[in-house]
Amino acid sequence: MNKKRITRKRVVVSVDDLQMVYQVGKVEVPALRGVDFTVQEGEFVAVTGPSGCGKSTLLHLIGGLMRPTGGRILIDGVDISSVSDVKRTEIRRRMMGFVFQSYNLLPTLTAQENIELAKQIQGTGHHEEGGAREILQLLGLEEKMGHTPSELSGGEQQRVAIARAVISRPSILLADEPTGSLDSDNSRMVLDMLQGLNEMYGQTIVIITHDSEAASAADRTIEMRDGKVRKQGQNVLYAMEEKHL
Amino acid sequence: MFKLILQNLRRRPTRALVSVVAVALGVVLLLVSLGLSYGQLMDTAQRTKGIGGDFILQPSDASLFFALNSGNLPVKVQRVIEEVEGVGAVTPILAKFLGDKFHLVFGIDPESFAGVNRDLNFVAGKKFSGPREVIIDTIYANSKQLSVGDSIQLLGHQFTVAGVFRQGTGARVLLPLSTLQELNGTPDKATMFFIRAKEGSSLEQVYDALQGRFENYRITKAAELQAMIMDSTPVFKQFVSAMVFISVTISFLIILLAMYSTITERTREIGILKALGASRTYIIQLILNESLLICVAGVVLGFGLTYVAIQAIFSAFPSIPVTITLFWRVASVVVALAGGLLGALYPAIKASQMDPVRALSYE
Repeated sequence: MNKKRITRKRVVVSVDDLQMVYQVGKVEVPALRGVDFTVQEGEFVAVTGPSGCGKSTLLHLIGGLMRPTGGRILIDGVDISSVSDVKRTEIRRRMMGFVFQSYNLLPTLTAQENIELAKQIQGTGHHEEGGAREILQLLGLEEKMGHTPSELSGGEQQRVAIARAVISRPSILLADEPTGSLDSDNSRMVLDMLQGLNEMYGQTIVIITHDSEAASAADRTIEMRDGKVRKQGQNVLYAMEEKHL
Repeated sequence: MFKLILQNLRRRPTRALVSVVAVALGVVLLLVSLGLSYGQLMDTAQRTKGIGGDFILQPSDASLFFALNSGNLPVKVQRVIEEVEGVGAVTPILAKFLGDKFHLVFGIDPESFAGVNRDLNFVAGKKFSGPREVIIDTIYANSKQLSVGDSIQLLGHQFTVAGVFRQGTGARVLLPLSTLQELNGTPDKATMFFIRAKEGSSLEQVYDALQGRFENYRITKAAELQAMIMDSTPVFKQFVSAMVFISVTISFLIILLAMYSTITERTREIGILKALGASRTYIIQLILNESLLICVAGVVLGFGLTYVAIQAIFSAFPSIPVTITLFWRVASVVVALAGGLLGALYPAIKASQMDPVRALSYE
């Protein structure tokens, strides 16, 4: 259950008439056809929609992994669609955390090393060795910290991936189908974890999902279709709680 | 980063090992080939210097590689040289290269030779006293298992070993000048003269005097012998350049191939690193450091294998000198590392430029 107090804060993500057209040979394939929305600090937003509606493209654009063909994305007021690759990488390093459907842990490193590497890349110091250990303890993975991904279950891998994504306290956590490869028990555990991060630490989260249960864990749902936002609104439970505040 | 590099190498041990061995072979090739050629040249220079004297007089077109020269200087020139101001002692030497045994023999006149040479040090026996006697150096004696009193076959004739001298003076085998002149078909001829200046005289003045008197001859200062041999060796510089080029190329190609295949296999990992915010510089450093580690391991293994190869050469051919100078040790490290880093540069840049979204969806 959501127990956080909702206080409207600054906008951390602002998507303005966002367009993305892929060039496939000589054919132009539009993926986003003018998407607009904002995400406020501390919000948990789920983007839903059928396959091919442009959800993943949207997430990659917000994360600065690609440059849009039109429109703007402001992250904390900085237009990442017009900055250089180097600057986008720097913003990604400083402000973003990614969680993927297929976990994407580095297979040669242990759980702890995966997290420490992220800290090192993000420049938050690998000297604070307690960080990785601490977060794995919190996740109940203390005994698995020396295990490589192949020695972990899907749920465990995704929990490590979430730990890696938030170890440097990013402004925004972006999750692409985080429960897409998990059974219901593990999905619930991962969603609880995301909700916990959002409630306890005010972590801003944007997830892409097909899963209605995952979407219902969010404060707000943005439904997409054919590269556009079809509708968006606050989840009932969340809206009810907000109303009572 | 270091952990990631180590784990990547451990994950693909065969490729890592093959790369290390290939870099090592480049190092071995460079060190052994140059060690052998330098060894031969320096040994020639040192043994020539070991004859003693301050100058060598030869015909104008003669080489400092005595094996290439014929004996066409009249021995009576010795008297003319002795008359030059400042000259203390002169000895004629006839050099003969024995193709079947692949070494030089010198014909010497013991009396005048003793006036020029002061270092001939016998470890067994004494100098020859008859026309069919020879003296041999310690390396030749050891390699052929010869000792005083034994017989050896030279130029189709039997000779008796009269003495064994410490190596470092002239050829490995010395025999009477008159005997070699006769067997060579060049009576009263010598290949060169070794000249010692009088005690206390100025070497420059003696050299000038010799130049003045023998302007159509080649006169070499013993002090400059080593440098002159290195410089005058036919195609030696080209040989060195070729060896360096081959060694660099081996490191370059092997590391290029290894790193190119590694970044292809690890495309997804590179995508993950980029998603985590790794900069282009970080990715380039990752690939370059991995190749650096392979090269360093290759250099260490290469040094070890070079040592083994040299020991094997010494045990099979004890008379073959091998000299690996500090310069070439350092150069082999630089060559291996430079080749490896250059080879890794293209894959590293390619990896750093990967599109993170495509890399993340790579299967």
